[in-house]
Formats: sequence, structure tokens, C-alpha cells
Amino acid sequence: MNVVPALPLMIVAGGACVALLASAGPGGRVRRDGPFWAGAATLIAAAVMSLVLWGDRQEALGGGYRADRFSMLLNLVFLAAAFCALLFSVREPAGVDRRGEYISLLLTSTAGMMLVAGAGDLIALFLGIEILSVALYVLCALEVWRERSLEAGLKYLIVGAVGSSFFLYGLAFLFGASGSVKLSVIGENLSVASFTDEPLLLVAMALIVTGLAFKASAVPFHMWTPDVYEGAPTPITAFMATATKVAALAAFLRIFGGALTDLVDTWQVAIGVVAAASVIVGNVGALVQRNFKRLLAYSSIAQAGYLLIGVAAGTLQGAESVLYYLIAYTAMTLAAFAVIIIREREVEDGEMVDALAGYGRARPVVGVVATVAMLSLAGFPPLSGFIGKFLLFGSAAEQGLWWLAVIGAVGSVVSVAYYLRVLRVMWFGTPAHGGEPRKLLTIPAPVLITAVTAAVAVVGFGLGASLLMDVCRDAAAALLAA
Amino acid sequence: MEGIPLACYLGVSGGLFLLGLFGVLTRRNPLLLLLAVELMLNSANVALVGFSRYWNVVDGQVFALVVMVVAAAEVVIGLGLVVAVFRQRLALDVDALSSLKG
Repeated sequence: MNVVPALPLMIVAGGACVALLASAGPGGRVRRDGPFWAGAATLIAAAVMSLVLWGDRQEALGGGYRADRFSMLLNLVFLAAAFCALLFSVREPAGVDRRGEYISLLLTSTAGMMLVAGAGDLIALFLGIEILSVALYVLCALEVWRERSLEAGLKYLIVGAVGSSFFLYGLAFLFGASGSVKLSVIGENLSVASFTDEPLLLVAMALIVTGLAFKASAVPFHMWTPDVYEGAPTPITAFMATATKVAALAAFLRIFGGALTDLVDTWQVAIGVVAAASVIVGNVGALVQRNFKRLLAYSSIAQAGYLLIGVAAGTLQGAESVLYYLIAYTAMTLAAFAVIIIREREVEDGEMVDALAGYGRARPVVGVVATVAMLSLAGFPPLSGFIGKFLLFGSAAEQGLWWLAVIGAVGSVVSVAYYLRVLRVMWFGTPAHGGEPRKLLTIPAPVLITAVTAAVAVVGFGLGASLLMDVCRDAAAALLAA
Repeated sequence: MEGIPLACYLGVSGGLFLLGLFGVLTRRNPLLLLLAVELMLNSANVALVGFSRYWNVVDGQVFALVVMVVAAAEVVIGLGLVVAVFRQRLALDVDALSSLKG
């Protein structure tokens, strides 16, 4: 049995065990720093291995895992997001008190995402989704002394488990309609027989869209998002908002863009409606939020909508736009959350937008990071957020889905209002008590470096868009390669 | 196919799924919610095993075994969280868990 293609996955899973053991290891130094360094080394090793495996498809674990350009590209995104979350967690309460569990669970969740991106059959796909979710349920609730953290964990668990049930039921029906759990065989079986009017298959697709919409926090299954994002420790929220969404979209692309690509006429409208509803609800909901974490939660619902517009297009061009925007979205969201993480440690209500009043003037570097992140999320050229949205809406319009492109464009215009509100408060606001913003502590170097790197990446992905697009095109082509 | 027809498997499975869904929508105690979710997951198992027999392949049964392990892990986490909530002396009622709002 060939295990080499699955090595990145195994390195991360093994690293999770090492990090956990290190926290129980001998000597205070190992216990204190061991998990962090084990985690960092694991992520770097897995990223290197993913780069080595970049190339045509190789199968591992009896066809259950596929290492192709698609899964390797997404591996790098997951690993980068996990690395940022690791650096954000330096001196974070949960990251200090329960280092071993914290880092081990972070790595476990990353391994689950990598399994989703490279899943070759339905079993691996479901297992990956569950591994990533179960680890995240615990991570959300890891600050057990904080009521809101526990509440977030429990809510996420129950809603997530219901989502998983829908997803699983859909997979069961997909297996029933096609007679195979292998994604490649499912595609073949369904394309030879004209199964499009088969009720079993329609039910399967509806259930799978429902289940994945829960995971991607798309409307109408988004209600948990603001609560969980607000209650979870902020580095975990940043990880969830980026990597989990990438994993859910990867599953969408693997199933609908890959296996069921011939049935595009059947699922296009369903995904399109979910996308449009997400754009509308997310953007309208974000307008009234005063808490920055909740604002970003609603914004992430809207972003899920933009991404699903690309999935709904159902073309290669749509898939590559989704990949491009996923990478850009990860960078800009991490930059935005870095601002909350920095402010949250200085003042008690640091996650409120008002706590940032005048903060841009007091800390120009953080101000610039926030500005880049917000402008890119809102879609200002020449930042990567603009290019990504342009590609997504363009791919939908090309398929005649004008209504989707228009809703997406109108949604991004509305979103300018709340993104710019944050920036206005930050640069031109005055703190409630007047004078300078309260309490400026030194920012831990890893957090600041990550924030600046993310902001540079947002600009860089915009300026080097054509290079990144070539990579995304190769990755998207791997979805359809037999 | 001899023995029990596929429709029976699917009928039982669909019934269990709807029962679970009904439980999720109406119950407010996290323990009962977990129970209801368990019903939904296991209804998929019944469907998987039924389809597995129908197509005469074992893949579905393997899938069902994997799902059982996953469901057990999920319930363990759920119970752990419920105990943690109980230790914090919070109400065991998801409607009362409402410090996160907006």
C-alpha cells in the first residue's frame, strides 16, 4: 500500500500526538515550550512535504486519499492558517494554560481539513469533516472558566452535529444512487445512466448542500456563526473563519465540481440560491453589529456567499476563481482578526468596534494592517479581494447567471458601509473618555509579524494575481482529471 | 434481492431521521439534543447498510462502522461539555444559554 502521498496528512496527525506528549514530558522547559515548537516544526514539515508532492495525482490508502494539485494547494492554505493561529496563540490564556491540548487539537483539526481536501471517497470525506469539527468543538470550549466559551462550544457542537447528520444522510443517498463510495466512480456511474430525474439523487444533493452549508456557515444554516465566533478564543475564531470555510468549500468543489460535474444543471440553481441568500443576509446583518468579532462573523457569511457563486458557475473558471478567492480571503481575514487579538489583550472590551477608536493614530502599523484587510474584504482594487470577487462574479456571468453576479456586486457595495465604519472609527474616532486610546501594551512579536505578513500577502496576491491564478488553474484542473 | 426489500430499510431509516430532526427542533435539554442527533446519524447507518445490500458491495457497511466510531466520539465530546457546563452551574437548557446575543 502506497502511503507516501498521504505523508503531509500523517505528519500533521503524528505532530498532534507529539505536541500532546510534550506537554506531559519531563522538565519544565519541555512542558512549557515543547508543544509550540513541535507544532511549528510539524506544520513546516507538512508544508515542505506538500510542495514535494506537487504534481499529478497519486493515490494513497486504497484510493481514499488523493494527492493532486488541488489537495496540495489547499494543504498549504490550511497549514498557513494553522501556523498563523499558532503564532496568534502566543500568550493567549487558553494557549498558555492548556498548551498541549490546544496545539494538539489545532493540528488534529488541520489534519481533518487536509483529509477533506484530498478525499478520494465518501468515507474519507465524512471522516475529514468530522475530525476537523470535533477538534474545533473542543477548541471553542477550551477556556472552560469562561461561560461564553463553554456556551459557544456547546452550541457549535449541537448545530455542527446536526449539520454532519444531514451531510452523512446525503452521502448515504449518493452512495445509494450510484452504488459506489469512490468519488471518481460515482461521477462515471451517474454520467452514463441518465439519473438526473432520479428522486434519490435529488434528495442526496439537497441533503449534501444543507450539510455543507452548515459547515461553510451559509444561509439558511448560519445562525450559529455569530455566537460561536464571538464566544470562542479569538485565535481559534480566526482559524475557524478561514480554514474551516476553505475545507467546506473544498468539499463543495470535490463533490459538485468534481464528481457531480455533469449534473450541473440540476444543482446549479440550488447552490446559487444559497449563495445569493448568504450574500444578502450576511451583508445586512453586519451593518448593525457593534462587536467586531460578530461583524466579521456576518461578513464571513457574506464571503461564503461570494465563494458559492463561483461553485454555482460549475465551470473550471469558477473553480479556479473559488480557489483564488479562498487564498485571498484567508489572508485578509487573518489580518482582520490579528487586529482584534492585539486590541483584546489591552482592554477588556477589545472586541468592540468602539474600543478601536483612535487606535490607528496610536499604532499606525496595526492601523495599516486593518486598513488593508478591510479594503480588501470590501473589494477595493488593486487588492486581492477585488480581483477575487471580479473573477467569481465574472465566472457566474459567463454561465448566464447574471442575477447571481448582480446580487454579489450589490452585496459588496453594501459591505463597503460597515468595513469603512471600522476604519473611520479607527483613524478618526475619539475614545469615549477623550484623549488617547487606553492602555497600549507591547504587542508580542509573533502576533505583530503574522499580522503584517498577512497584510503584505493581501497586497501581494493582488499584485501577483496572474501568477497565483496559474497555480489555481492547475489545481482546479486536477478536480476533473480522471 | 432476496430477504428484506430496500424500501423497508429506507422507510425505517427515513422515519428515524425525521424522529431525530423532530427531537432536535423541539427539545431544549442538551442531553436530549445529543440523543436526537444520535438518532439522525444512525438513521444514515441503516440507509448505508440497506444500500450496501442492494448493490451487493461492502463499502456501505464499512462506512456505517466508521460512522459509529465518529458518533461515539461526538457524544463523548458533547457529554464532556455538558459536564463542564454543569460544573459552572449554568442551566441545562439551551434557551437559558444566551449570553451570546446580538
